[in-house]
Amino acid sequence: MISDIIKWVIVFMGSLILQTSFVPIITVAGIKPDLLMVALFFFSIKYGVMPGIFVGFALGLGQDLYSPSLLGQNALTKTIAGAFIGLFNERMMRSDPFIKTALLFVAFLIHDALYFIIQIIKLGDPIATLFAGLFVKSLPRALYSIVFAVLFYIWELIPKPAIRK
Amino acid sequence: MQWIIRFFVSHRNLTSLCATVVASFLMLSSNPGQQQNIARLLTYSVFYPFQFYFTQTTRIKNVFAENRSLKNEIAGLSVRVAQLSECGKENDRLTGMLSISQQYPYTLVPARVVVRDPSFVSRSAIINVGKDQGILPYMPVMTGRGAAGKIIQVMGRMSLVQLMLDPANRTSVMVQRSREIGILETDNGDDFFIMFRAHADVNVGDTIITSGLGGIYPRGLLAGQVKKLTENRDPIFKKAIISPEVNFDRLEEVFVIKLPPQWASFKQELDSLETISAKGTAQP
Repeated sequence: MISDIIKWVIVFMGSLILQTSFVPIITVAGIKPDLLMVALFFFSIKYGVMPGIFVGFALGLGQDLYSPSLLGQNALTKTIAGAFIGLFNERMMRSDPFIKTALLFVAFLIHDALYFIIQIIKLGDPIATLFAGLFVKSLPRALYSIVFAVLFYIWELIPKPAIRK
Repeated sequence: MQWIIRFFVSHRNLTSLCATVVASFLMLSSNPGQQQNIARLLTYSVFYPFQFYFTQTTRIKNVFAENRSLKNEIAGLSVRVAQLSECGKENDRLTGMLSISQQYPYTLVPARVVVRDPSFVSRSAIINVGKDQGILPYMPVMTGRGAAGKIIQVMGRMSLVQLMLDPANRTSVMVQRSREIGILETDNGDDFFIMFRAHADVNVGDTIITSGLGGIYPRGLLAGQVKKLTENRDPIFKKAIISPEVNFDRLEEVFVIKLPPQWASFKQELDSLETISAKGTAQP
C-alpha cells in the first residue's frame, strides 16, 4: 500500500517535472501533450472514482497554482475528468487498450470542454472559443498525449523476466 | 448524526465529487484578491513541500546552465588572462628596450623576431624591419644583453639576421679587462669559443665584448663570459669556452644598430681589387 502511494507520488511528481521541463522541447506547432492528464488517467482507471476525484482535484489545484489560469479552473476540470475515468476502472470492467485509449480521448475532450466553458463564463470569451478551442487545440493535444499512453501500453506488452518472490 | 455519516460512506463517490466541485466553484467564484489569498495559503501550507522539491529541481536545472555558462566564462577569462600576462611581459621587455636605446650612443631600430629558422645548419631569424626603415646589409643586431648577429639580407619590410649561433659567423671580440683580442666562433651553434695565444691574459669569468675591429659591430657590446679555459693540442694556443650573453632560445625583440659597416666607404675599391685579383688568377 505504502509502496503504491510512493510509486504514484513519484509518477505525478515526475509528470509535473517533465511537463515543465521536457514537454516544451517537444512542442509541435504550439501543441503539447498533457502528461499530468495521462498520469491521472492511469491512476483513476486503476483505483476508481473517489481516488480519481481527489487526485484529480489535487493535481488540478497544483496546476492552477503554478500556471497563470483561474484558481479552481484546472481543479474542477481534472476532478470531473478523474471521476469520469474512475467510472471505468479495472475493478468494474476489464477493457482492452484500444477502449482505454478511446476513453482517454473522451476524457480529454470533457476536460477541455469544461475548461473552455469556465473560461467563457468567467472571462466572457465568445462561445465560438469553445468549438475553436476543441478543434484547434484539444483534438491535436489529445492525440499527441495518447501517443504517450500508447507508449505505456507497448511497454506493458513487452515480456519481462519473472521475479521470484 | 449517524445517518449522515452512513450517508456519506454509502455515497462516498458522490459526496467526494460534490465536495471537490463545490471547493472548485468557491475558488472560481471568489474575487482576485481572495484567490490570491487562497493561493498563498495553499502554497505555504499544503504545497510547500512539493514547491520546495519543484524549486530544488528547477534550481538544479539552473545550476547546470549556470555551470555551463561559468565554464565558458572561465575559458574566455583564461584566454584574457593569458593575453594580459603576455602584454605585461611585453611591456616589461619594451620598457627595458627603451632604457637600452637611451644607453647607447647609436641609432637603434627596434624590431620583432617574426620567424626563426629551426635548421641546425644556418642559424638565422627574420625580423620585421627592412629597407623601408633604413636597414642595410651588415648592420649589427643586438638585444638588451648584447650582440646577437648581423643583417645579411634586406627586403622591404623584413630582414634576415645571421645569428651568432651560425657556425659561419665570426665575431671579433676582446677581453674587457686585458684587451686581448680574439675571434668568437662556434662549431655547432651551442659551444662558443675563442682561440687565444697561450700566454694571453685571460681568466675564467672575464667579460668578452666586441672589439669593433671586424668592421660590423661597434666596440663595447657584450658578447659573453669566459666559462672555462682548456689546453689545446697546439701548445701555441689555448681555448676559452664562452657562455654567450644573449639567450638565443628566447629571442623576441631585438635592435638593429643603424651603423653601416666601417668598410662600406671603400667597398668600391675592395670590389675592384677583388676583380683585379680574379683576372690575375685567370690569366695563364
